[in-house]
Amino acid sequence: MWYQVKGNQNDVVVSSRVRLARNLAGFPFDGKLTEKDANAVIGKIETALAGKNYTKTDMTTLSPVAAESLVEKHLVSREFAGKKGPHALFVNEGKSIYLMACEEDHIRLQCILPGLALTDALRLALECDDQLGTLDIAFDEKLGYLTHCPTNLGTGMRASVMLFLPALTAGGAIPPLARQLAKIGLTLRGLFGEGSESRGCLYQVSNQVSLGVSEEEILSRLQKAVENIVARERELESAPKGEDAVRQSDRFARAEGTLRYAQLLSSEELFELFTDIKQGVTSGKIKGITHEKLLTLLIEAMPATLTENAPEKPKTALERDGARARFIKQALEV
Amino acid sequence: MKCQNCKNKEATFFYEENINGKKKSVSLCADCAAKLHMTEKFEMPALASPFSVFGNDLGNFFDGFFSLSPHVAAPKGKVCPGCGATFEDIAASGKACCPQCYTTFADELLPSLRSLHGDVQHKGRVPLVDRAAKEKENKLASLRENLKNAIESEDFESAAKLRDEIRALEKEEDK
Ligand SMILES: [Zn+2]
Ligand SMILES: [Zn+2]
Repeated sequence: MWYQVKGNQNDVVVSSRVRLARNLAGFPFDGKLTEKDANAVIGKIETALAGKNYTKTDMTTLSPVAAESLVEKHLVSREFAGKKGPHALFVNEGKSIYLMACEEDHIRLQCILPGLALTDALRLALECDDQLGTLDIAFDEKLGYLTHCPTNLGTGMRASVMLFLPALTAGGAIPPLARQLAKIGLTLRGLFGEGSESRGCLYQVSNQVSLGVSEEEILSRLQKAVENIVARERELESAPKGEDAVRQSDRFARAEGTLRYAQLLSSEELFELFTDIKQGVTSGKIKGITHEKLLTLLIEAMPATLTENAPEKPKTALERDGARARFIKQALEV
Repeated sequence: MKCQNCKNKEATFFYEENINGKKKSVSLCADCAAKLHMTEKFEMPALASPFSVFGNDLGNFFDGFFSLSPHVAAPKGKVCPGCGATFEDIAASGKACCPQCYTTFADELLPSLRSLHGDVQHKGRVPLVDRAAKEKENKLASLRENLKNAIESEDFESAAKLRDEIRALEKEEDK
């Protein structure tokens, strides 16, 4: 899985993702697409990818827990996982491409990689796009790739990075940063929690506009902005002195202690621990846990994935919190 | 200044943005700004559930833009030949119903697309089939140019060769 691999600059950049939206000419969009049409669309995609080492999963045969687990791993959209009617998932051999057939668009293909790896993500996504070359794709010289929602016209591309920004968050720098990014056509949003501050200090930055700019332009604009944000985050992150340093050390140690020895752990609590532990790992004060290990814990301890992998399926919230604590303890021992 | 959306209440919310080098400014009253999700929330909408952000690209925010051009209306009885949708159907959902909707209602959609993207001329990648066709077109054009030059310079040997090449390539195109 992408999140188990060490990524470039993964103390700040959690992941990079490129998503392309494509539709088949001659078929209506989702909403007007009949079951028969949807199956025909899936069939055409399957034919186009035949012999190219893709594995097809009929999503309608998947249990809700298995589908939700794919969402938790960032491999498919929540809309796709919860969709009614025919929809299928195609995954390439290297498990770098997840192609959703009959999502909001007929085709939504995405590549997600750990750390800062936008260029690779784009290259892999475009390779998959070329593999679909035999399909009659809805395209207009002026409007580009024709998509269900007009926000995706043009390149049909959404590039995004997930960022861990505890220092900028603590310094109150997120709202002005969001305003600055909006001016250059980028959107910043918090990934968890309510209100203007994100729990877990995780944010997503993505391109807002997809028409009138090329794939490479979108990517370089995002790349530059991310490099800038990473530099600002690191600048603010500077190690505290005196009493503050003692308190910070204590906070990191307590978080690690809870993570290692708690017998019950809710997802909310895990999120709270995540921020401290990740900072502890970055500062070098927490040893024996890497950023990729921590991310793996966070994702695989989410409710659906945890239930999927548990030897005995937890039935109550209490059982789940117990299973989560045991899973983490085990994962940290190896 | 009156609100651009309802054209009734006083505008108190001014939003300016530079998309693809084109300035876009919107003036709204507080009610319409909230309705169109253009308040603080827009800058950083926090999402209630973990990882729900995927695929949920700005949907709410931009859906509102179609109602920003209330004066736009399609001629009565105009329907998309691809799917039977009217412009009202598209404006109501903020989404096209089939690829052909975009060509059918090109004029009606243009103002909204401008405010969405700033620029409405696609740049970047084209589908593989179009790419191949374009390459062939370019190659034929250059061969014809060479043929013309060969004839003008009375290099008939090259001209014959070029003519064969052009014929072969044209035949391929018929397939
Ligand atoms: Zn108003
Ligand atoms: Zn239509």
